[in-house]
Amino acid sequence: MIMRTRTFQGSKTESLIYAILSICALIIIWAVLVNFTAMKKIMPNPFTVFNMFFISFVKSIGTHVLPVQILFSLKRVFVGYLLACVIGIPLGLLMGCSKLGNAIIRPIFELIRPIPGLAWIPLAILWFGIDEAPKYFIICISASVSIILNTYSGAREVDDTLLGAAKMLGARSFKLFLNVTLPASVPQIFAGLQVGLSSSWMAVIAAEMIRSSEGSGWVIITGMENGDTVQIIVGMISIGLVGLLLAQMLRAIERRLCSWNVQGR
Amino acid sequence: MKTSLKYKIIAIISIVAFLAIWYLITDGLKLFSASTFPSPVKVLQAFIKKFYVKIPDGGTLITHLIASLQVVLYGYILGVVIGVPLGILMGWYRKVDLIVKPLFDLIRPIPPVGWIPIMILWLGIGINAKAMVIFVSAVTPCIINSYTGIKQTNQVHVWVAQTFGASNKKTLFKVGLPSALPMIFIGLKVSLGASWMAVVAAEMLASTKGLGYMIQMNRMVGRADNIIVGMIAIGLVGALLTFILERLEKRFVRGRH
Repeated sequence: MIMRTRTFQGSKTESLIYAILSICALIIIWAVLVNFTAMKKIMPNPFTVFNMFFISFVKSIGTHVLPVQILFSLKRVFVGYLLACVIGIPLGLLMGCSKLGNAIIRPIFELIRPIPGLAWIPLAILWFGIDEAPKYFIICISASVSIILNTYSGAREVDDTLLGAAKMLGARSFKLFLNVTLPASVPQIFAGLQVGLSSSWMAVIAAEMIRSSEGSGWVIITGMENGDTVQIIVGMISIGLVGLLLAQMLRAIERRLCSWNVQGR
Repeated sequence: MKTSLKYKIIAIISIVAFLAIWYLITDGLKLFSASTFPSPVKVLQAFIKKFYVKIPDGGTLITHLIASLQVVLYGYILGVVIGVPLGILMGWYRKVDLIVKPLFDLIRPIPPVGWIPIMILWLGIGINAKAMVIFVSAVTPCIINSYTGIKQTNQVHVWVAQTFGASNKKTLFKVGLPSALPMIFIGLKVSLGASWMAVVAAEMLASTKGLGYMIQMNRMVGRADNIIVGMIAIGLVGALLTFILERLEKRFVRGRH
């Protein structure tokens, strides 16, 4: 059966033209609204925002320029996320491969899983103080849930035919794991890594808004405290851009590591 | 049959061991002070007490819970009512897709909690600002999933409908929508999870009631037992909401899966 999806054969240039037109329209409507209506009081001019965005690369917000503020957040994400990968992937594999491991870990995991990562913030601050440690902890918790979950389902749903064939050819348990289960669950693991990365980016913003003295979340929350909408919007734009960049980076790594799967899609 | 029973027993032992270790390192050996890491017994006591005691955050567990649920439902329903139809329109009508998709892609990478400051600045710390943050977090998965669901409509089914003379609109309602329904429900579930998380964050930052406010206030006064009570309540309600949606899904989504 042909499983064609409803993709239209429209040319790429056409969608590009529409994209440019609609974004231009948005900016024009925005500019008209703030210039001629009462929106002026609560919304800055789009051009002021763009201007400020570039100025903030050289002029500091608070104590650092915008790129440095972003780097602070990225460093936190890097540490917390790496921790989540180091903990989450082995745990997920253990749960997926061994019934005993599943029986031991799964109930505890299911107890903790429904609590959103951000709800750990107060407890983390109480436990680890207000330095970097609570932020790493929150990011790690937020990211590890989806990493564990996806790794687990990846390892559990390995094709039985593959496992059977490897067993028939004499692969023992560890070799079976290393040569069959692990490679077969890589695409699922990457799905978990992708979701985990975006949740850790969200977690760092939330953690920095609640307690910190630098970083992207700090930029927008001080913008709020000072009633500076320009700073908030500049911060939001940078947060969106970095989030997009992180996702693209991971996607590029995925394409390198499991090109066999991407091509098959 | 016998082995499955064995694993069930192991699972129960695992939870008991978890609680026992927790008890041992807190009340048993007193490695941590009760104000930073209370024992499970103290948490249970605090949980029961929180149903009628208002100290120190000015509300019982129920009042905070109702406050959070109110905000979530307000924002979530708004997100679903706008997000699902928009996603469907984007998936079905090419013009809508071409115009709306770029704007949507522009806003989508900003995490929902990143909207909190500007919403508070615009709308104050009342229910509206929080509901708008929830709306932003709920609307994105609704749009993405309904869009993908419609896009995955089997072209053969569309051709069949067209051959039998169905109009474009009728094809959408009789073919596109039913086959997109499982995806739409996934969107509804993801949205609900995201909303529940966003409300906790929003309440921690600016609120005078709600579960997020409760755990944040108890941090300031150093009552870890109440923080854990709040976290358990958040987890339980989140699980319950997901469960309700799953029941609805079983009722409405037939066939296919």
